[in-house]
Amino acid sequence: MNRGFWFAVTLVLAATMVLVSCGPAAEPTAAPTEPPAAQPTAEPEVVEPEDAEITLLWGFWGSPEEKASHERVAEAFMAEHPNFQFEYMFAPWDDYFTKLQTVWAGGDPTAIPDVLFLWPTPSYAARGVLENLQPYIERDNYNLDDYWPYLLDSARYEGDVYGLPRDIEAHALYYNKKLFDEAGVAYPTDEWTWDDLLVAAEKLTKVDANGRVSQYALGMEGGKWPIWVGQAGGMVLDDLSNPSKCTLDTPEAIKGLQFFYDLMDKGYAIRSATMSQQGGDQAVFETGQVAMIIQNSSRVASFNANADLDYDVAAVPIPVGGQRWDMNGGAAWVMSAGADNKEAAWQFLKWLQSPGGGESMYTKNGEIFPALRSVANSEDFMGVEKPANRQAFVIGAEAAKPGGFAYFPEWDELSGSIISPQLDRLWAGEATPEEVVPGLCEAVDAFLADNGYPK
Amino acid sequence: MNDEWHHSSFALFSGDSMSTRSLSEHPLSQAEQRRLRWYRMQRAYEGYFFLAPNISGFLLFTAFPVIASFALSFFRWDLLTPPVYAGTAQFKELLFNDPQFRRVALNTFYFTFGTVPARVALSLLLAMALNQALRGITIYRVVYFMPVVTSLVAAALVFQWIFNGNFGILNSFLWGVGSLLHIPIHPPDWLNSTKWAMPAVMVLNLWKNVGFTMTIYLAGLQAIPQELYEAAEVDGAGGWAKFRHITLPMISPTTFFVIIMSLIWAFQVFEEPYIMTKGGPAFATTTLVHYIYLNAFRWSRMGKAAAIAWLLFAIIFVFTWLQVRYQRRWVHYEADQE
Repeated sequence: MNRGFWFAVTLVLAATMVLVSCGPAAEPTAAPTEPPAAQPTAEPEVVEPEDAEITLLWGFWGSPEEKASHERVAEAFMAEHPNFQFEYMFAPWDDYFTKLQTVWAGGDPTAIPDVLFLWPTPSYAARGVLENLQPYIERDNYNLDDYWPYLLDSARYEGDVYGLPRDIEAHALYYNKKLFDEAGVAYPTDEWTWDDLLVAAEKLTKVDANGRVSQYALGMEGGKWPIWVGQAGGMVLDDLSNPSKCTLDTPEAIKGLQFFYDLMDKGYAIRSATMSQQGGDQAVFETGQVAMIIQNSSRVASFNANADLDYDVAAVPIPVGGQRWDMNGGAAWVMSAGADNKEAAWQFLKWLQSPGGGESMYTKNGEIFPALRSVANSEDFMGVEKPANRQAFVIGAEAAKPGGFAYFPEWDELSGSIISPQLDRLWAGEATPEEVVPGLCEAVDAFLADNGYPK
Repeated sequence: MNDEWHHSSFALFSGDSMSTRSLSEHPLSQAEQRRLRWYRMQRAYEGYFFLAPNISGFLLFTAFPVIASFALSFFRWDLLTPPVYAGTAQFKELLFNDPQFRRVALNTFYFTFGTVPARVALSLLLAMALNQALRGITIYRVVYFMPVVTSLVAAALVFQWIFNGNFGILNSFLWGVGSLLHIPIHPPDWLNSTKWAMPAVMVLNLWKNVGFTMTIYLAGLQAIPQELYEAAEVDGAGGWAKFRHITLPMISPTTFFVIIMSLIWAFQVFEEPYIMTKGGPAFATTTLVHYIYLNAFRWSRMGKAAAIAWLLFAIIFVFTWLQVRYQRRWVHYEADQE
């Protein structure tokens, strides 16, 4: 080998290395200045989606079972529309939103899902990554009246609909009949009050000699506290999209928090963190560690699959003189502003959210309590064998209002950094609502002021 | 001398007529000197060539992100809309107006100073125990090293169960002891308590990592010359005197390394609390790196996350610098000079 050869080889390889290291590095720096959101939304209309071969990228989170269910829905759609093909962007809940932000920030239209599952819709609409569905809805006279009374509030931004909620978080009280029989307690009814719940809870809680609870009466995720607060007439903020102050310090809100606090403090309800360490409400209910859980209809399919479990549901108990209240706002199907083929995406969206379409399939599968009233009242929902008292979910849905979360972009941070951690002290039994709430509201108000609210 | 070496190897590699010539006989001609310069340059290129894979990886995956994150810490950026310049505002907010930041910084210090001394002491103790000529010593070494290669997620889930307030074996054990001694015992609900969750996380961290530092100590202990101990025994030194005056000083370079690395690792802790407690309850186990993660990927505050990352870097830098600065007072490098 002579020098010239080595030199040439070295030079070429070094140049390649430099180019390789420069190429990808240049991209991320360019991305921030040209986000997909900044692009004009005026798109060329594709006139005949029926004829062209269309591939939609569909994004959702969930368990492997949920993924399989989405894929079955896609297959049903493809059977009706043979020119459609689907690709999926799938990730578990914990990674889904990180992944989404990354593909949106990257701005590569082939990587951005055309249709996707999202929550909370208004926060993302505010950042310009979502397509405004209002023009499509008006053009096609898509029926919004079929949705539950307050549900679309969770998917509006500046008055326009940006997402079509798939389900509504209608909660019910699930109860294990066997454990009720053992304790000699009458089954819950839709008329139960908080007092009835407490009386039954006392009998359903089993404590051993060490003071260790071997069977709890109730399992309920700590994050569901807005149900109690709402029933008592309280609310987290004075305005959910443009708040000026924390309203958890009202007597109504404190009454709701106190009720949940007492349930745990007396040992009737399993502490929220303990429950999640033991596999969540589904696991503790199926194993008989708790006699009741308060949850939306997403547990129905698993419980029906468990032949040993004899259960039914009832409406969530309300305080005497309180109102029926449930927190609404299931996740919604939305369209990316950077979607490749918006007409086709809309066509699919419309089908997903229609009786006889995706909505019916999910409902029949027992996965959701449908956002559409016509589907809830059809055989798709009422035709399911168990639980017998399915009407309990309808009671919840009729009363479901916004209030479980707010609709401004910083909500996740406010909730994750201040509200949930501070309320955690209640669910851990380390402080009472009277001790926690004043400081909590002070911190919330400071956060709102720092972020320029009210706007 | 150096020139001569270059010259000779040059001759070997080039394979031309020069290789047959004796080197030190006469000065080089002009043409030869030109070729020599050319050759040296070429040698340099070869060096760069062999460095290129590593250097380009470093530039791409380390240097660029480091610089980018530094720049980013002066911007507010939600990933989706263009970054907005904020100057040092985010640093000021973090230091003076962010109770969560104060909380997680204190948590991180608590974790660091709760685990590092214990980790150093425990791993030295174990290393000394496992440095004995016992039967089946390899088995013991494997046992103590096993947690290091165990999946952290699996381990954290098991520890979650151990510390479970109601069904965990720790509390069952404590209750058992209590009823045996007829003393009513009320053990805490470990992971549900703002007071006890962090110690529980620390225990997991120690269990997982002591084996690694123990191995480093073991290597250090085996480098201590036996003659020193023998000489000390002749002088009548007991076990403690040998430990205090031979083992500790001789192992001090290892201790120095172990402390520095353990501090850095501890300041950067994330997985243990993230899996075991999700940072809760009430932010009691949220660490700085977890807070970076929350800000960057949960709350879309990339710039703030970058600023926290640089504050964390500053903390680690100060502690490491202090270590290096004051090492002369207690680190002895005699072992190297043996």
